[in-house]
Amino acid sequence: MSVVFTIAKRDIKSYFASPKGGAILFFFLILMGSFFQNFVVSYIEYEQRASTMGGQAPTLEQLLRAFFYNLNFILVLIVPAVTMASFSEEKRNSSLRLLQTAPVKAIEIVLGKFIATAGVMGIVLLASSVYPLFLVKYGNPDGGVIIASLLGMFLLMCSQLAFGLWISSMTNNQFMAFLFTMFGLFLLLVLNWLAPSLSGGGVAEKIIKYIASTDHLDVFLKGMISVSNLAYFLCFTALFLFLTNVSLDSERWR
Amino acid sequence: MIEVKGLSKRYGQLKALDDVSFTVEKGQIVGFLGANGAGKTTTMDILCGCSGADSGSAVIAGYDITEQPIEAKKRLGYLPDVPPLHGEMTVEDFVTYAAKLHKVPTNALNTRVNDTLQRLSLFEVRNRLVGNLSKGFRQRVAMAQAIVHDPEVLVLDEPTEGLDPGQIVQIRELIRSLGGKHTILLSSHILSEVQNTCDRIVIINKGHIVTQGTYEELTRDLSQGKVFRLRVAHSAKDALSRLKGMPGIVHAKIEDDHGEDTIEFGVEKSASENAPEDVARAVMDGGFGFRELRQKTKSLEEVFFQVTK
Repeated sequence: MSVVFTIAKRDIKSYFASPKGGAILFFFLILMGSFFQNFVVSYIEYEQRASTMGGQAPTLEQLLRAFFYNLNFILVLIVPAVTMASFSEEKRNSSLRLLQTAPVKAIEIVLGKFIATAGVMGIVLLASSVYPLFLVKYGNPDGGVIIASLLGMFLLMCSQLAFGLWISSMTNNQFMAFLFTMFGLFLLLVLNWLAPSLSGGGVAEKIIKYIASTDHLDVFLKGMISVSNLAYFLCFTALFLFLTNVSLDSERWR
Repeated sequence: MIEVKGLSKRYGQLKALDDVSFTVEKGQIVGFLGANGAGKTTTMDILCGCSGADSGSAVIAGYDITEQPIEAKKRLGYLPDVPPLHGEMTVEDFVTYAAKLHKVPTNALNTRVNDTLQRLSLFEVRNRLVGNLSKGFRQRVAMAQAIVHDPEVLVLDEPTEGLDPGQIVQIRELIRSLGGKHTILLSSHILSEVQNTCDRIVIINKGHIVTQGTYEELTRDLSQGKVFRLRVAHSAKDALSRLKGMPGIVHAKIEDDHGEDTIEFGVEKSASENAPEDVARAVMDGGFGFRELRQKTKSLEEVFFQVTK
């Protein structure tokens, strides 16, 4: 098992030894910052409008939910950038041989890579939690909602990372890995809205909606942690890590 | 130590390997010779578990690479044709990483890494980034990765590729010093390198093993009879016609490359042991002025071209 962390440690270090890790953080925080600023400005506007003209004032939880929904969208761009290199770059410059000829199982390599990417995205998520912290400092949002939302986002990230790793393990072209991962994640994001037109209602629609991550994430963003939604993300992650393992193992037979 | 039995591998229509079998005894250095595209790298990839064979088996130190890959790989060091390096790591970090992957115990880690760096003259550059090193250094870092865990079996795919003459000598000496304790399979298309470093030679061509044995065995088996070179003082043409009449002498001709006075001739295997003496006597009796008579040995190059043509 220690070899998993050896691989993960090296990968995380390499993200930040190259400009890649820094660049990802930089663009992510700039984007999230400008969105957050926008949300806060409109929140204040709505609040003022409510107090002068009457009507429902917006809640901080609504602001939070808007923020995390946005994060969900930005992840579709960030996750592929983190996972695209995981296997395809190592394949391209042949350094994967080092892992393939070491006494290491394919699943250990996959887990090592997964923990590395989860670590990088964990840092990204931690950095982005500075915005909800502003709300805690200047307002009184429900702390439980923030924690549940962060957990939900992290689980969503993990499932997306597993999907990205699987794509990356199938090509030695980073750009292709990025493109296909992005497309796949985008599809998962919009599947919920496409479901009615894809299935024509009934059980099929329910199934498609279940596959999409949106409804499961919603529950977390409302501040609830339920076993079934936890299980959804864990199963999703496990399935794609397993597929990555299969794809890596099958390398020998191609 | 290394046992390869009946390996076959196809890439679509292309038959890369066809029934490849050979063994490497413990402590031996075996040279794996072949032209580009002959199947050297494919064989080594299968041997090291990077690629699978369609049929046949490869056994490393008693462990089958497909049945017990982890046990086999523990005893294996591999230097692939393209060095598997991480450019953004320092030399020391990289070698330490390779050692950890090969499960070198933590208490022995520092000594093993330092020893390896010293051995390959990498100690001075240990804090530099691998990506910033010259090709020769990078090749040595890749070599360090293969030997840091002190494996029983070493598989080296063209280890001196891209090195300057000084570095080639250094790596060659290192390989020779590793022999005896380690079992080494070394591929190369540089014939003199194989001739100088290896105990045995396996020659592969178009996916087939065409011949194997020690250098002496190969050169002996492939010389159909013996070839001699005779130098006389004068009237070489007369000497030639005299030689042509003698029993057991074949293919006698004036060797133009060496001047008008040199005759090359073959002695059939069935001819008597005394054929060279008979020739010498005939030359002296004929008054051609005997200068030199020596047996021509085949170089590995000739053997190689003969078996792979």
